[in-house]
Amino acid sequence: MSTDNAIAERAPAHRRLANLLIEYNFIAIFVVVVVIAAALSDNFLTFVNIANLFQQAAVVGVVAIGMTFVILTGNIDLSVGSLTALCGMVVAVLMAAGWDPALAVVATALVGLSCGAAMGATSAYGQVPSFIVTLAGLVSFRGITYLLTDGVPVSGLPPSFAAISSSVVPILPGLNLTSMALIFICLCVAGGLVLRFTVFGEYVYATGGNPEAARLSGLPTRLMVTAVFAISGVTSAIAGILLTSRLRIGQPTAAQGLELDAIAAVVLGGTSLFGGRGSLLGTFFAVMLLQVLRNVFNLLGLGSFYQMTVTGFIIVAAVLLNRFIEMRRGRG
Amino acid sequence: MADDVLVVENVSKRFPMNIVALEQASLTVRRGEIHCLLGANGAGKSTLLKMVAGALKPSGGRISLEGQALDLHSPADAARAGISMIYQELDLVPQLTVEQNLFLGHAPGKAGIIDRRTRSERAHEALRRIGARFSPRARVEQLSVANQQLTAIARSLTMNAKIIIMDEPSAALNETELEAVFAVIRDLVRQGVSILYVSHRLAELREIGDRVTVLRGGRTIATYDVADTPDAALVEAVIGKARTLVERKARPPVAGEVALSVNKMRGADGLMVEDFAVRWGEVTGLTGLNGSGRTTFLRSLFGDLRFEGKVEVGGRPYRPTHPAHAIRRGLGLVPESRKTHGLVLDAPIYKNATLASLGGRFTMSHHHERERARPVLDRLSTRYADLDQAVMQLSGGNQQKVVLAKWVVNGAKILLLDEPSRGLDVGAKADLYALVEKLAADGAAVIVASSELDELYAACDSIWVFHEGRILDRYDPSVTGRETILKATILGDQHVH
Repeated sequence: MSTDNAIAERAPAHRRLANLLIEYNFIAIFVVVVVIAAALSDNFLTFVNIANLFQQAAVVGVVAIGMTFVILTGNIDLSVGSLTALCGMVVAVLMAAGWDPALAVVATALVGLSCGAAMGATSAYGQVPSFIVTLAGLVSFRGITYLLTDGVPVSGLPPSFAAISSSVVPILPGLNLTSMALIFICLCVAGGLVLRFTVFGEYVYATGGNPEAARLSGLPTRLMVTAVFAISGVTSAIAGILLTSRLRIGQPTAAQGLELDAIAAVVLGGTSLFGGRGSLLGTFFAVMLLQVLRNVFNLLGLGSFYQMTVTGFIIVAAVLLNRFIEMRRGRG
Repeated sequence: MADDVLVVENVSKRFPMNIVALEQASLTVRRGEIHCLLGANGAGKSTLLKMVAGALKPSGGRISLEGQALDLHSPADAARAGISMIYQELDLVPQLTVEQNLFLGHAPGKAGIIDRRTRSERAHEALRRIGARFSPRARVEQLSVANQQLTAIARSLTMNAKIIIMDEPSAALNETELEAVFAVIRDLVRQGVSILYVSHRLAELREIGDRVTVLRGGRTIATYDVADTPDAALVEAVIGKARTLVERKARPPVAGEVALSVNKMRGADGLMVEDFAVRWGEVTGLTGLNGSGRTTFLRSLFGDLRFEGKVEVGGRPYRPTHPAHAIRRGLGLVPESRKTHGLVLDAPIYKNATLASLGGRFTMSHHHERERARPVLDRLSTRYADLDQAVMQLSGGNQQKVVLAKWVVNGAKILLLDEPSRGLDVGAKADLYALVEKLAADGAAVIVASSELDELYAACDSIWVFHEGRILDRYDPSVTGRETILKATILGDQHVH
């Protein structure tokens, strides 16, 4: 122990830098990909394209925020795609029934919250793996989505509702972000602050890091699991509202496979599927990284088949890299 | 000596950092003999067994089977040689059938295809030899513990074991079940199999053993014929007479009020505590064999297991149903396994130290938490490079201090320590008990559960002996000798009669 002390005191500066680079390797990877993208296509680093990137990343990004909370506790939420579609339909149906858009949005968020909390509570108090509970959610929520209108899309939504996603907000001269991109970024910041600077966030990490130790330290671990699923429910609801707002139509077939995109982003961002380790910063960069890749392929005129193939490889490579870093750390 | 099956000669085992677990241990098991191995906790029994079973490599000495020296690299090697080990936690796959378990890893067949008929015949044969009355098609999880034990024995037979090692098989069995297992063992011995039987309990050795080898402090003391040796001689061999005692310092008399009292508690696993009390400023020890109820008692007090009965903390009734209730009333538990129950290993030191005392607040100031953790960790003389270091990187002793710090930071006044010195070296143990003494001097009530009686004897104001879920007696170590207490833990009720 005393030798450790000495080493830590002798070489803090470059060791700390190395540690930071290892810790935030996803940022380095992101920068590399951006540089490659910029070299490949002149159109990449334009304000219009950047605004597009954020706009397109927003839906999966918002869902990935909730997913990060869930995975940090060592759970998984497979229902987010269906719940997003369900909430997107609920908000449309409510407005079609004459509800005020603001009221409809709030009610929809509550629907998402209760669906998430119900699944979380079932998993935590019934001691059923969240994989199973949310798999059931994935199937049933989609079913309810179709039942709402017999599978028929809902159109004719009020123009004020479209403004939720598509208002243009100038950030820098020349750079205008849509409100939905801004909502994604703000939620990321808010979520990051919660994880880092609140006791709740601390409990999320502890619950995932070692549920037994957390429980024996007096933490309400079952309530925590319920809470993170409630958060995931709310983010799914927000994603659904944004999606319907952007499409201007409630589409029951929307957001198929969204759960896998979100999980991929969270894992790519360095969050451990076993819980207790990871960050929203990582998720944010991973969401953007996946979006940049898609964007590059489009700019290069390569089809989605290439995108899918390469994305899979990149996810495996990133996870292996993290594994490798952890093993190195465990030994050192 | 054609009749010697297993010969262990002068075997030693040293672990890194010069910890000697076994020093020149020898024993000989004859064909068709039930040979018992007796020793207190930490005497080196498990180390010796693991080396015979191929799970550990000896640092020196010789192990031979039927006259041939063995060089075992793995448990599979040992099994091939004819040595079969049955661990306390039976290594069966509960979801599979008895038949599948019997031949797991050595199923008869060709090219990866199992010859089910042969397997079934041989399973019947093995079960017949042990006189089992359950079907080979039954799933192991549906069997009673005794029948699972028998399945494990039958598994040894399918591997043509010449010697079967049984590590405290009685721990999970009741009287009648144990009798059934004994009957099988006796029958096997008649068929020429040898048994090496490990136990704490003298009564069992009397019932089943032919000869017994006593281990103490990593050395084999002697081998006795069970029938010719009185209990007293065996107990003396286990305890040691002329051994240097851990010094017991005079402790100031405990003057505090009763901090926690228990009356007629009934809990999980047959826990029955009629009467227990600890005062402020007192260090009290709980001892007993493994599985005697110490851990269950502490977990019940901490709200982790349900119980019935009257418990008071600081004179007010106390009925915890969640650890959070216990913590609110000023209790803190240092669990038996610090890695799986005590710490979030990946998390920084300071977060572990303050984890239990974040409740009731909304925001988290990392600076503030570091400043709360630092003085406590320093007071407990914890050695670390950086508060942000993952607690995983600390040594065992320092990890244990972090767990303790968690409760000190939270201001817990009743500390429950479950086997706190497990896995610590001598220096770290001394450190730990110095801390316990300091905390008690500051007014805390400390309950230490340990199977290391020496430690309790040196550090405690009172010692309670657990036996099969009940408290046998309370002893005052300043009046009662260590041997008396140790006898009570080994013999249970017998010493009263």
